[in-house]
Amino acid sequence: MTDTTNMSAKELLGFYQEELYEEARRAKKEGKLVCWSASVAPSEFCVAMDIAMIYPETHAAGIGARKGALDVLEVADEKGYNVDTCSYARVNMGYMELLKQEALTGKTPEKLEKSPAARIPLPDLVITCNNICNTLLKWYENLAVELNIPLIIIDVPFNHTMPIPQYSKDYIAEQFKNAISQLEEICGRKFDYDKFLKVQEQTQRSVAQWNRIASLSSHKPSPLNGFDLFNYMALIVCARSRDYAEITFKKFADELEENLKNGIFAFKGNEQKRVTWEGIAVWPHLGHTFKGLKNLGNIMTGSAYPGLWNLSYTPGDMSSMAEAYTRIYINTCLDNKVKVLSDIISGGKCDGVIYHQNRSCKLMSFLNVETADILQKQNHLPYVSFDGDQTDPRNFAPAQFDTRIQALDEMMKQNKEGVSNE
Amino acid sequence: MSRIETIISELSSISNNPRKAMEDYKKETGKGAVGVMPYYAPEEIIHAAGLLPVGIWGGQKSISKARAYLPPFACSIMQSVMEMQLEGVYDNLEAILFPVPCDTLKCLSQKWKGTSPVIVFTHPQNRKLEAANKFLAEEYRLVREKLERILDVKISDEALHKSIDIYNENRKVMREFTDIAAAYPQIIDPIKRHAIIKARSFMEKSKHTAMVKELNSELKSLPVEDFTGKRVVLTGIMAEPNEVLEILKENGFAVVADDLAQESRQFRNDVPLGTDPLYRLAKWWQEFDGCSLATDAKKSRGPMLIDTVKASKADAVVVCMMKFCDPEEFDYPIYYRQLEEAGIKSLFIEIDLETTSFEQTKTRVQSFSEML
Amino acid sequence: MFTMGIDIGSSSSKVVILEDGFNIIAGEVIQIGTGSTGPKRVLDEALSKSSLKLQDMARIIATGYGRSSVDEAHKQISEISCQAKGVFFLVPSAKVIIDIGGQDVKAIKLDSKGCVKQFFMNDKCAAGTGRFLDVMSRVLEVNLNEMAEYDSRATEPATVSSTCTVFAESEVISQLSNGVAKENIIAGVHQSVASKACGLAYRCGVEEDIVMCGGVAKDEGVVRAISKELKKPVIVAPNPQITAALGAAIFAFEEVMGTNK
Repeated sequence: MTDTTNMSAKELLGFYQEELYEEARRAKKEGKLVCWSASVAPSEFCVAMDIAMIYPETHAAGIGARKGALDVLEVADEKGYNVDTCSYARVNMGYMELLKQEALTGKTPEKLEKSPAARIPLPDLVITCNNICNTLLKWYENLAVELNIPLIIIDVPFNHTMPIPQYSKDYIAEQFKNAISQLEEICGRKFDYDKFLKVQEQTQRSVAQWNRIASLSSHKPSPLNGFDLFNYMALIVCARSRDYAEITFKKFADELEENLKNGIFAFKGNEQKRVTWEGIAVWPHLGHTFKGLKNLGNIMTGSAYPGLWNLSYTPGDMSSMAEAYTRIYINTCLDNKVKVLSDIISGGKCDGVIYHQNRSCKLMSFLNVETADILQKQNHLPYVSFDGDQTDPRNFAPAQFDTRIQALDEMMKQNKEGVSNE
Repeated sequence: MSRIETIISELSSISNNPRKAMEDYKKETGKGAVGVMPYYAPEEIIHAAGLLPVGIWGGQKSISKARAYLPPFACSIMQSVMEMQLEGVYDNLEAILFPVPCDTLKCLSQKWKGTSPVIVFTHPQNRKLEAANKFLAEEYRLVREKLERILDVKISDEALHKSIDIYNENRKVMREFTDIAAAYPQIIDPIKRHAIIKARSFMEKSKHTAMVKELNSELKSLPVEDFTGKRVVLTGIMAEPNEVLEILKENGFAVVADDLAQESRQFRNDVPLGTDPLYRLAKWWQEFDGCSLATDAKKSRGPMLIDTVKASKADAVVVCMMKFCDPEEFDYPIYYRQLEEAGIKSLFIEIDLETTSFEQTKTRVQSFSEML
Repeated sequence: MFTMGIDIGSSSSKVVILEDGFNIIAGEVIQIGTGSTGPKRVLDEALSKSSLKLQDMARIIATGYGRSSVDEAHKQISEISCQAKGVFFLVPSAKVIIDIGGQDVKAIKLDSKGCVKQFFMNDKCAAGTGRFLDVMSRVLEVNLNEMAEYDSRATEPATVSSTCTVFAESEVISQLSNGVAKENIIAGVHQSVASKACGLAYRCGVEEDIVMCGGVAKDEGVVRAISKELKKPVIVAPNPQITAALGAAIFAFEEVMGTNK
């Protein structure tokens, strides 16, 4: 076994990500089960049953960030997937198609061979949860039928009225029970409740360390750049029910605290303005968006997106776990959504907000106008929005982005110089 | 005018002018109307309150004000609904009943720009579990309470059971109608068929039932003539505006069955029997299948479409794809493949309520008819 | 016996006069389309070139976007069927047709008799169409007919990947201002057109022979890019702009002879 004790957080992040993919490939080889999972679907059940997990959204983001999206997007286009649908889904459906071709013919398609992302095995089952969108229901329906494998659904109804009613938690908890019996059938053995409790406890420890990192961006100047969270997010998605996530996040939080003590901040030079980024990253242009802000002296210290995985609950209490999985801010009414974002902006001591109008994500785009409007009335901070896409490089124009953030920068400057922004 | 023509023209004028239908209802009963957003809201609760449920399906219009609130990648039905909200078109509705079975509707439910109160409820998506029925019955209980409060009425279980009966009767008659209409494409062309079905979105259902029942029996008394055109099944959200149906008609197509959210999907199933009326309504959603908005691990839409094609002896399927409707767009690659495997040809046309140019649709439809 | 096919597209008008169903007497093109004087002018030109009169035509069939506005026509047939007919006449081994016109991209699959088996068209978006190339040629200040030549000199094709024409325009402008050679940008533009068309072709199922027609087929850069993407040779139909008009004229002939279904 590799000795990880002296690794930096960044090294741990890379190591464990690769380790997870390797575990899945090994599991497949040894005839063990592999599950593909939605990014915020409960991982506890499958992990308790020793099923190897793969997270297509993270995998798709990785393909996007490594500039390999176009090839697989074309495969999805050919299958009839409309270019207007979620690019994570299209990347994954395209990739799945290539894996399927390989499995059927024994030959590795060229596009798969060439793909810059980690190789992943085909799943034996899939699990989905619609707490971050209903697209995940449609996408996983299609995976299940294309591969003829079982689908576990955890449906968390949209919370149009807060607080979350008990009958909604009851419905979700009933589905947990159903997921357990589905797993018992798929695995051919009884569910391991003792291990399940341990996995829940592990998940809580991972989440606690994750929240510890996120809270560090409240320092001014900040030891943490929000873009780092986009990177570390891979493990809160893929390994929150394992100690991999806890170990890595603890290390990272320790490093950041140490930096803070020594006066080392995320922004080399002088951090001038702090922004909140609302929405998913533009993975294929992550560098461009990061540098664009940096060159203007801006640091990102607020993003509600990593908070999707703030899944704190009481282990052993299914109703509490149900609540954790359904209260995700984009699964709640506008009032609550605004409240969450408002806390992020003030927590990060931000001077402005950037809204990503994401072609792939209707749920995270169609309320941006109202959200921005209400928030500006409350905090008088300037904002801009730009057109982009999480993984389809064709839906982002660097020039448009640059102009918009420059305008934001000028407005933030004005604000700071005491000119009112009415 | 024959009795058939009279009935069709009456239903067509209602389907083209919901505002007048509302005003007439008000004159007749002294009661107002409640707006019903797509898709699959329990209209029966509104009916039981004595008000007129009025379907909100957008309309053919150019979008300008809505652009400020919705990016261009929202579906055109919601673009036009948003435009009309901003124009105050829906402001004389007593309330709006708002289901949220897709991401677009979740967002739209939070940004109604009109003045009427909005009642939002969520359909469960793990539908085959008993827990889903319980959850939905609870949501419906809240819908009932909110309606009672807003409208200052009492909605009794008894009234609900009665309204469910009236709706089930309408569903049965509508299923009969679509079967009969398939045999008389010379009389019930695609435009008329659509109008007769759409009228039920704006009428008190027992009235609609009575008219369609009469139409059915008048039609059945006529001899069935040979039809030389092509018989197709429509699938999708809706087949509007009428120009689209005109193009089908011009090219000799008859609609012999549909799988549209605005049409047959609403009356494919009856509300099942039971003692608690809200539970009965909830159970309808559990039994309902073959729609992109109702999650289905078995993905039975394709097989159901194939069955419909066979039962209606159709020549092909016309996919009416609502632009930017992601649930429908996700279903397409799967059922397209399944149709191909079953040797059933399909034509893809794009539905966009804003468009005024139908040249591409014409080309597609004409080519398809030449190909069949 | 003479028959005529008239193809009125969005950006060009075409007429073919056919003798006895196989001999092309005239095939004229004018680079303006429906709603303009193009249709009348191209008709006059074809007649004067062949020294024939409209009354000499046994039958006239119109096709293309403007097909319903051609008063002279006895009938209209969609350009999909006409393309299939015309291309199959010229290249009987054709299995897949890629037709890129002013505002439409189509991929058409033929059976062994040349009948349309399946077809796919672009959505309502200019990317990948002739209009897209027009916009790019304007931005780059390179004439349309010179684009292929520029492309052939490309050393390292740039990426022009935006799905939206407006975005693609800004992508190209920023590449220009970054000093990327026009040759490489144009090769990138061609690749982007090719990838749209090939997406449709793949959905039909790619099978040789693949034949290209439509105005854009005259741009060898696009043809090369498509061939590269499909990894298969692509045949350009002789006189690729008039294939639909030719198909219409053949249909007209078959109807007169009573051989059409």
